[in-house]
Amino acid sequence: MQKKGIRFYLRIYCKILAQDLKSKMSYRADFIISTVGMIFTNISGFVSFWILFRSFPSLNGWSYYEMLFLYGFSLVSITPVQCFFDNNWSLRQNVYSGDFIKYCFRPINLFFYYQSEVFDIKGLGQLAFGIGTLIYAWVKIGLPFSVLMLLKMTVFLLTASLVMIALQNAAAASCFWIENSFYVLDLVCRFKDYAKYPITIFSPVFRFIFTFLMPIAFIAYYPSLVVLRPDAVPLLSWLSPLVGIAFFFVSYKIWMRGAMKYSGTGS
Amino acid sequence: MKLKKYITLTRAGIIEALQFRLSFVVMVIGNLLYLIVVYFLWKAIYASAGTDVVNGMTFNDTLIYLVLATALFNFMEMYTVWEIGRNIQSGKIVLDLLKPMEYRKYLFWSYSGTFVTQFFLTFLPTFIVVSVVTHGAVPLGINLLYFVISVVMAVSINYSIDFLVGTICLYTESIWGINIMKQVIVLLLSGATIPLAFFPEPLRSAMYYLPFQSIYNAPLSLLLDGDPQPQTVLTTLGMQAMWCIFMLLLSKGFWKVSLRQITVNGG
Repeated sequence: MQKKGIRFYLRIYCKILAQDLKSKMSYRADFIISTVGMIFTNISGFVSFWILFRSFPSLNGWSYYEMLFLYGFSLVSITPVQCFFDNNWSLRQNVYSGDFIKYCFRPINLFFYYQSEVFDIKGLGQLAFGIGTLIYAWVKIGLPFSVLMLLKMTVFLLTASLVMIALQNAAAASCFWIENSFYVLDLVCRFKDYAKYPITIFSPVFRFIFTFLMPIAFIAYYPSLVVLRPDAVPLLSWLSPLVGIAFFFVSYKIWMRGAMKYSGTGS
Repeated sequence: MKLKKYITLTRAGIIEALQFRLSFVVMVIGNLLYLIVVYFLWKAIYASAGTDVVNGMTFNDTLIYLVLATALFNFMEMYTVWEIGRNIQSGKIVLDLLKPMEYRKYLFWSYSGTFVTQFFLTFLPTFIVVSVVTHGAVPLGINLLYFVISVVMAVSINYSIDFLVGTICLYTESIWGINIMKQVIVLLLSGATIPLAFFPEPLRSAMYYLPFQSIYNAPLSLLLDGDPQPQTVLTTLGMQAMWCIFMLLLSKGFWKVSLRQITVNGG
């Protein structure tokens, strides 16, 4: 099998995406209700945030708008996992029912093909919400704006999103080994909600855990420091792009290992 | 024997729930993580507030409230909407409708086994740990009795809301969107994620007129009130009883009307 270039994969992705959108559009009511549901989720998250922090000028040395910045950052960085990797949620059913075998017979990368099958449009609302929050907080804090800043922001956002993607991949892949893996995936999915808090509120032990064992601090806290507090950027922040890439690579390997081990159900 | 058929369903539920031990372990880990985050978050909030009492609640009060709210959530989350939605999509609902028992009752009682296991495996241990850790900050007196009565009604209201929302699936065939909307609204407006006392004034008063606060806020405030005034207890329980009956009739009526709508593919 010859190696296929990135252009080939992009073209394939667009084709599959178009099919997926067409099939989604045939369930229009479901699509609209799901989108409204997603907007509801974001609004409620924002309202909770507002209720908690409106009466306090600062939290552990973090001003209201800095917290808002973190919140916006976390929303944006968990969007890719929502949009591009939503098919992970169906992996369990596919593996049990035996449908997963169909993916194994395609002459393209298995992981790529599986994930490309579903594109979740709902995530785009969240993206808009997150970007809006980020810009609002950015202006309110009075951070300077330059092309370099924007570039930095983009790079760090993209690599931060890899962390959540990696966590979800690994959690979804657990279905190759254990039964009832929905709970594992659900557990990891809840991490998203914890990413928006500055890690300094935790005690040292949990700071360590949330940095190295369950790397949720890399979803928003460390990468956002590069833009938010450019005067004192810790080493871990600069390393966060590498961390993101490394985690993604490992999760990809786990996922593929599980998939290769898969032997079908015989049906 | 009228009761016997219900007890049989409960027993089957207990046996089924005990089969899934891994999911139980993962759930406990998930809750622990959530509680750790909540603990540090509120600690930081109280530290920056500068006072011991915020909105009439001490740090201990808030923590007990939130811990027990989580325990109650696990206890009461029945995934009814998912169950109904899936049954509609797969057509299995036809078989359930043929059973010599009302569908509403059948669904409830087939889930009731999980109530029993959840109560002993999560709620009771959590409650004991909380009482021990906080050195008796949870008053143990007549309020426990009120709490139990209140929880029974809360379960009923919660189930009625779930069933009502599940019935909507008959029309929309959308599960995810409908369920997420319900969950977001119930969790936020019932005071499960943030105690009602922290909500800003016009919103808080409005919430007392909605059924949702009867699910989490009512039982928990009864439990935490060491010196209950007969008047408060009566209003709270009376309000719950009213919602209990109203939601019961509403969900039953809506189901009856909607049943004519049903179209099942295959089955």
